[in-house]
Amino acid sequence: MNETNTARGIASHYRRVDVESTAVSTADGSEDTRGPANGDRVLTIRDLSVEIRRGERVVRPVSGVNLALNRGETLGIVGETGSGKSMTGFAIMGMLPAGGRVTGGSIDLGGKELVGLPAAQYRAIRGNDVAMVFQDSMTALNPTRRIGEQVAEPVRLHQGASKRAARGRAEEMLALVGLPRPAERLDDYPHQLSGGMRQRVMIAMALVCEPRVVIADEPTTALDVTIQAEILELLDDLKSRLGMSMILITHDMGVIARHADRVGVMYGGRVAETGPTPVLFSRTRHRYTHALLSSIPSLTHDRSEELFSIPGAPPDLTVAHVGCPFAPRCDAATDRCREEQPALSTEEDGHAHACWHPASGPTARVRARFAASTAILPEREAAPRLRVVDLRREYPAGSAGLFGRRRTVKAVSGVSFEVAAGETFGLVGESGCGKSSLGRMLVALDRPTSGEVIFDGEPVTRMSARALGARRTQLQMMFQDSNASLDPRMRIGTILREPLAIQGVGTRAQRTARARELLQDVGLPAGVMERYPHELSGGQRQRVGLARALALDPKVLVADEPVSALDVSIRSQVLNLMRRIQLERGLSSVVISHDLAVVRYLADRVGVMYLGKLVETGTTEEVYGAAAHPYTAGLLAAVPEADPRTRRPRLSARVRGELPSPIDPPSGCRFRTRCALATALCAETEPPLEPLAGTHRVACHHPLQQKRSAELTTR
Amino acid sequence: MTWYVARRLAISFLVLLGISAVVFFLLHLVSDSPGRVVLGQRASPEAVAAFNQEHGFDRPVVAQYVGYLDQLAHGDLGRSYKLNEDVGTLLWQNAGRSAMLSAAGLVLALLIAVPLGILQAVRRNRFVDRAATAASYVLYATPSFLLGLILIAVFSQALPIFPAEASQSHSPWVVFTDPRAMALPVITLAVTSVAIFSQYQRSSALDQLGQDYIRVARAKGLPERLILTRHLLRNACLPLITLVGTLVPTLLAGNLIVESLFNYPGLGLLFLNSLQREDYPVLLAYTLIGGVLTVAGNFVADLVVAVADRRIELSK
Repeated sequence: MNETNTARGIASHYRRVDVESTAVSTADGSEDTRGPANGDRVLTIRDLSVEIRRGERVVRPVSGVNLALNRGETLGIVGETGSGKSMTGFAIMGMLPAGGRVTGGSIDLGGKELVGLPAAQYRAIRGNDVAMVFQDSMTALNPTRRIGEQVAEPVRLHQGASKRAARGRAEEMLALVGLPRPAERLDDYPHQLSGGMRQRVMIAMALVCEPRVVIADEPTTALDVTIQAEILELLDDLKSRLGMSMILITHDMGVIARHADRVGVMYGGRVAETGPTPVLFSRTRHRYTHALLSSIPSLTHDRSEELFSIPGAPPDLTVAHVGCPFAPRCDAATDRCREEQPALSTEEDGHAHACWHPASGPTARVRARFAASTAILPEREAAPRLRVVDLRREYPAGSAGLFGRRRTVKAVSGVSFEVAAGETFGLVGESGCGKSSLGRMLVALDRPTSGEVIFDGEPVTRMSARALGARRTQLQMMFQDSNASLDPRMRIGTILREPLAIQGVGTRAQRTARARELLQDVGLPAGVMERYPHELSGGQRQRVGLARALALDPKVLVADEPVSALDVSIRSQVLNLMRRIQLERGLSSVVISHDLAVVRYLADRVGVMYLGKLVETGTTEEVYGAAAHPYTAGLLAAVPEADPRTRRPRLSARVRGELPSPIDPPSGCRFRTRCALATALCAETEPPLEPLAGTHRVACHHPLQQKRSAELTTR
Repeated sequence: MTWYVARRLAISFLVLLGISAVVFFLLHLVSDSPGRVVLGQRASPEAVAAFNQEHGFDRPVVAQYVGYLDQLAHGDLGRSYKLNEDVGTLLWQNAGRSAMLSAAGLVLALLIAVPLGILQAVRRNRFVDRAATAASYVLYATPSFLLGLILIAVFSQALPIFPAEASQSHSPWVVFTDPRAMALPVITLAVTSVAIFSQYQRSSALDQLGQDYIRVARAKGLPERLILTRHLLRNACLPLITLVGTLVPTLLAGNLIVESLFNYPGLGLLFLNSLQREDYPVLLAYTLIGGVLTVAGNFVADLVVAVADRRIELSK
C-alpha cells in the first residue's frame, strides 16, 4: 500500500476511483473499530498528543485524541476555545504553530502515516489530499493577488498544470462554488467581493485539487446566519459531489447538529464524547456535553427559566492534569474523577465517552426559574423612558468629485421605537443593518443626521455637550469586545472608580466601596480590583464591562453584542447575570445582537432591523412565535438548532443572496431583492410599519401572518 | 485616478509656492543686500547701491519675490554672481551625478534591507535576527561622516581595495563606468538606510507572517520559499514604499556629507561651496529642490502603493 502511494508520485492527481482499502490496525480497542467497514476509513487518528513550547512555557493543547473519518462522512469536532479542536486540525495538516510538535500517536491518511513525514512529502499531501478551509476569508485571502491566481495555485503546484489549464480549472471551481460570472471574477481582488463570496472563493481554493479530506475550521463563524446556512449547504453538497470526507471544526452545537454525521466533543485537549450525531444528542453521556447542551439558549427554551451555566473556566493546559479535565467544573464529580483519567469507553453504535459517571437520559435539566420581576411593575408608567423618533444616520462615503453630490452610507434610515421603564428591547439583524450605529446614538456617543432620541421626556440628541455630560450617567453602554474596551494599563479597581470620579461621586473611599459592591453584583471576588484586564478571562472581563456600565446606576443600558465574543459555557453565565440584573434593577435596556437566541432570551420586546430600517417589532413571543416579515422568518429558519431532530427548513423559507449596498438601498421595500414574495408593489412603495395584532407591527406588503393562515386552509 | 493626480499636483504646487516664499524671505532676512556680498566688504556703498539697483535688489521685498516667481515660471532659477553662471546650468551639471549616487545608494540599501528584514522576521528572536537588529542600531547611531572615515581607513588605507576619493569624472554614469571608485561613497550612503529599512521591513513582515493568508499558502502545500516570495514579499513591502517616499529628500542631505567626504562633484558639494561663498541664489534653488523632492517623493510613493495594493482607492 505504501509502495503504491509513493509510486503515484508527488504531483499525481488522486482520482476518486482508487480503492482506498486501508490496512488500519484497529486492535487497540478504541471506538474506531465500530461503525462502517474499515475499507471506507479515510483518516484515523490514534492517541494523538501535541505540545507547544514557547520559551519556558509548555502547552499541551491535544492529549491522546482518537478520531476516525470515513469516506463521504462529515465528522464534527466541537469544543470551546482551547479545547484543542483547531490544533487537532492543524496537526493533521502538519501545520502546527512555531514551537509545536506531535509528541505521540499517529495520523493515518489512507494507509499513509503522516506523523513524522518529511516536510517535502507532507507538502505534496497538503492542499492535494488534505485541504483546509479557514475561518476569516478577509484575512485568509492574499489581498494583493487576484482570486483566479490564488485558486489556481494549488493546481499548478500539485498537478503541474499549465498556467492556462490551471486558470480554466479555477474558473470551473469558482462556478461550482456558486460564484456568479466566474470568468469575469477571476481577475478580481479579494476586497472586491462580499464576505460570503470570499468564503466561497476560499472553499474553491481548498477543493480545487479534489482532496480526500477537507478540514473546515469554523468556516462560517465570521458570517451572518443567512450566509452561514448557504455556505454550510454548499460544503455538504460539494462533499458528496466530489466524494470527499469532511472534518467540521466548530464551537456551534447547532451547526454540528445540522451538518455532521458523527461528532467528537473535545474538552481540555481530549475527546470527551464521540458518536453518531443523532445518538450523541439524544443519549448524551458525558457530563460536559450534557452541561454544554443545557447552557445554549435556544429558540424554543422557556424564557422564564434560567439558562444552565457551567461554573468556573476551562482548564489551564500549561499544567499537567490528573483525572478528568472537566472534574473541577462538574457537579457529579467524585474523588475518582479528580484522581483517575477516564478512558473512552465504547457503547453500542460507536458511541463512546470518557466519563466515570455518565449521565443517562436526555439533556433536559431542571433549570432555576427567575423570580417574577417585582421592582419594575409599578414603574411602568404611561410615558416611555426612551423614545426614538424617526432616527437617521448617514455617513459620508468618499465623494463623487468636487461638485458631485456626496454619497452617503445610509446606516440608519428612519427608525422609531419606545422602551418602557424596566423593559428590555432587543435589536436583531445581520451585520451592516445599522444596529450598532443605532445603539451608539441611543447613548449619545454619536449624533444622528436627523430625528431624536428622547430620554425621560428630554431630547438627548439636541443637548449641548455640557448638558449631556450629566445625562450620560443615566445612559450607559456595555461593549462587545471587553478586551478592547477596558484600558489595558488600568487596574480593574481604577476602571470601576473612573466613571464615579468623573462625575464627582463620593470620596475616594466611598468610590472604592462602590466598586467592591459592583464586583459583588456581577459575581466577581473583590480581589479582582487589584488586577489588570489581561489577567482576567474573557467572561470575567465581560462582567467587569457590565459592572462599569452599572457603576453610575444608569436608567438605560445599551448592550452591543454583549456575549458574542464568549464561549458557550461562559456565555450562559453572563446571560444569566444580565437577566438577573435587568430584573433586579428595573433597568431599561437595549440589547443588540446578531444572535436571535440571545435576543430572545434577554428581551421582552424585539425589533428586527434590515438595512437601516425596522421591519418588524413586537413582544418576543409575537415575533419569534409568529414571524410576520419574510426577513424575520428567513433569519429564524437559518438558525441551526442544537438538535438534529429539528427538520432543516425548506429552501424557499431562506433569505437568499446578500445584503445590498447601504449607499444605494433598493427602492420601495429594502428587503425586496432577497424576498421570495416580492411583487411590483414592493419595488414601488415602501411598506410602513403597521400594526398586525396586539403590539405586533410589521413593514411588509405581504406579511406572512395573513398569508400563512390562508395557505393552511388551501392545503 | 486622473482626478486624484490632478488634485495632488495642484496641492503640490501650492506647497512648493509656500516653500519658495518662506525660503526667499528667510534668505532676504539673512542678507538684504546681495551687492555687498557680491562686491565684497571693501566695495564703496555707491557701487553696492548701483549693483542692487541694476539687479532690482532695491525694490520692496514682495516685489522682488514676485519677480523671482516670474523668473521661475520662465525656468530661470536665477544667477550665481560668484560663479557668474546660471543657477539652472550649475544645478543641471551636478544633479545627474548626485541623483545617480543617491539612486545607487537607495537601490543597494533596498536590495540588502528587504531580504534581510524578511529573514529576520522568519527567524524572529533567533541569533540572525538579534545580531542583525543589534548591528542595525549601531549603524543607525553612527554618523555617516564617521562611518565614511572608518570605511576609508579600513578599505582604502589598511586594505587598499577601494580608492579614498570618488571618481572625478563628469559623467553621471560613473557608478557604472567606474564602480571601484564609487564603491565607498555608495556603501556609506546605503548603510544608514539599510539600518532603517531592515528594521521597518522586519516588523512589517512579522505583521504579515501572522496573517491567515500565509497559513493558507502553507495549507496549499507551497514550499516556504514560494510562500515568502509569492505571498509575503509584496504585502510586506507596502509600508516600506511609503517610508522610502518620505526619505527621498533626506538622500539629498546624505549626499551633502558623502560628497564632501569623498570629494564627489555633485549637488551636495555645490551646496557646501555655495554656503561658504554666501552664494544665495544657489542656496535658494537647492532648498527649492529639496521641497520638490519631498513633495514628489510622497506623491510617487502614494501612487506606487495604490498600484501595488488594489484595496486603496485614490478618489479623495
